[in-house]
Amino acid sequence: MSTASLTVPARRNRRREKLLPWLLLSPALVLLAGMIYPFALGFYYSFTAYWLQYPKRFRFIWFDNYISIFDEPLFDRAFLFTLGFTAMAVVIQVGLGLAVALFLHARIPGRAVLRALMLTPLMIPPVITALMWKIMMASTTAGILNYLLSFLGLGPVNWLGSPDGAVASVLIIDTWGNLPFVSLILLGGLQALPVEPYEAAKVDGAGPYTTFRYVTLPLLMPFLVLVTLFRTMDSLRIFDVIYAITQGGPNDATTNLHIMAYQFAFQWFQMGKGMAQAIILLVMVVIASYLLMRLWNKASESTA
Amino acid sequence: MTVQAAPFAGPEPRVRARTGQRLTVQLALVLGAIVLLLWTVFPFFWILLTSFKTPGDIVSVPPKVVFSPTVANYMALVIGEQHGQVAASRPDFPLFFLNSTIISLGSVLLSLAAGIPAAYALARFEFPFKNAIAFVLMSFRFVPFIAFVIPLYILYQKIGLYNTHGGLILAYQLITLPFTIWMLRSFFMEIPLEIQEAAKIDGCSWLGVLVRVVLPLSMPGLSVTMILGFMFCWNAFNYPLMLAGRKTFPVTVGAIQFISYEQVLWGQMAAATVVAALPQLVLSLMVQKYIVRGLTMGAVK
Repeated sequence: MSTASLTVPARRNRRREKLLPWLLLSPALVLLAGMIYPFALGFYYSFTAYWLQYPKRFRFIWFDNYISIFDEPLFDRAFLFTLGFTAMAVVIQVGLGLAVALFLHARIPGRAVLRALMLTPLMIPPVITALMWKIMMASTTAGILNYLLSFLGLGPVNWLGSPDGAVASVLIIDTWGNLPFVSLILLGGLQALPVEPYEAAKVDGAGPYTTFRYVTLPLLMPFLVLVTLFRTMDSLRIFDVIYAITQGGPNDATTNLHIMAYQFAFQWFQMGKGMAQAIILLVMVVIASYLLMRLWNKASESTA
Repeated sequence: MTVQAAPFAGPEPRVRARTGQRLTVQLALVLGAIVLLLWTVFPFFWILLTSFKTPGDIVSVPPKVVFSPTVANYMALVIGEQHGQVAASRPDFPLFFLNSTIISLGSVLLSLAAGIPAAYALARFEFPFKNAIAFVLMSFRFVPFIAFVIPLYILYQKIGLYNTHGGLILAYQLITLPFTIWMLRSFFMEIPLEIQEAAKIDGCSWLGVLVRVVLPLSMPGLSVTMILGFMFCWNAFNYPLMLAGRKTFPVTVGAIQFISYEQVLWGQMAAATVVAALPQLVLSLMVQKYIVRGLTMGAVK
């Protein structure tokens, strides 16, 4: 009798213990469902002809959207620009970011102030960053940027009006906003490096370059891959900055796949096609991230 | 995705050089610091200057650094006053500022309400699909926003959430919910299990442990998560661009309205960017140490 009265609540308790995490998760899961549902719906739309103005013409067309996107005259250019921009942005930002991190790691005057100031470009809205630079790049004559360049004997550059200038503008603005992110992560990595390998290198009589090449760089590799991962993901999908300064122009020079998807959906109201484009971009992001994550695993294994 | 940080600070390379070289090296370092400082600060400085200029001063060649400042741009922004006359229609910018505040605050509070118990479950309990749920949350980070906006736009038009604060708060959960759960989980996991077990032995239920032990101990983490979440919402541009209308535009979309087909109101736009960036500058000083952790969803501490 007494044992039975003990086990029943105990069993009930165990069952409650099993249900508890799900109870705790339920509000989040409801919201999560609210996020997954539109995505699933959108995925379905990517296989349909869906003009917003002609809802009656809605029909399922299998892969036609995906196939026809590749025939779009703009697609090749946007695809190449997406990849090219990502490659340039990542190389510039990780390269400069490493330089800045090494610089801040050395004992330079006013390091704490610099470090704090560098957070500001990182945390203001990217669109606001773009508008700030748009003001500075404004015209070829009155813009402050061209005025400053004239002291170096350069320019004037037609920043937003010429295709090359516009691409450079997006690169500069994106770099200004994200360089601090790369630098701060790499600086954190540098500050967390163990002392022993450096002492060993010193004993072996290694110079600064050899130490950097064979000690610092390999040890820092997980951090380098990690920032490359984050920057690759964001550069492939950059939207705010381009939308704010050029809207994809001039002459479609800054139209990437994301801007193109936006144009399909919200300028020509071909929702199905816009969604198919978004899925293509998603696949690209996932492939790039997967490759970089594998690299990251390898890098952190070899340093651990 | 956690980068193991060594428990001690690494070595700081001292710049070593012979006395003759030392001065040159010092000089180079100071020069580098100045370049970095100018690169970071100059745009802010210039926009602040521009926001106090008259339209004539803004387009003057060469650009003016010394000029008689005017608050006309801010007046136009806040009360709609132009050329000494108050415009017939109220200016939109104060409304945009209010919208940003309402939407950001609402999104953070909703994410917190759902995120605290979820993060606690993911940090403390073992149950099936636990890692799958954490992964799904993380995977939202990969999706281009347009893949959510297209179906949300269609849905919102149908069910009346288009151009409403509530609709935007729900859409912003894409920004704040995964972030909140991952951040809080990483903070909750830092609280020693022994303290929680001790509270349990003292007769606390799981709710007691959460409310009396875990939450008070993770107060710094909680406030950092709230502030960063608020900042991410404040920065959001893509979702409101498509899902909001004039009634609910936040400052980010509002600031871009100064560009029209006829002209760009440079001075007012500069003033608007200053006002839109200001809360971020103040908040980012408060959470300095945690910004990197926040931007990587706890991957880098």
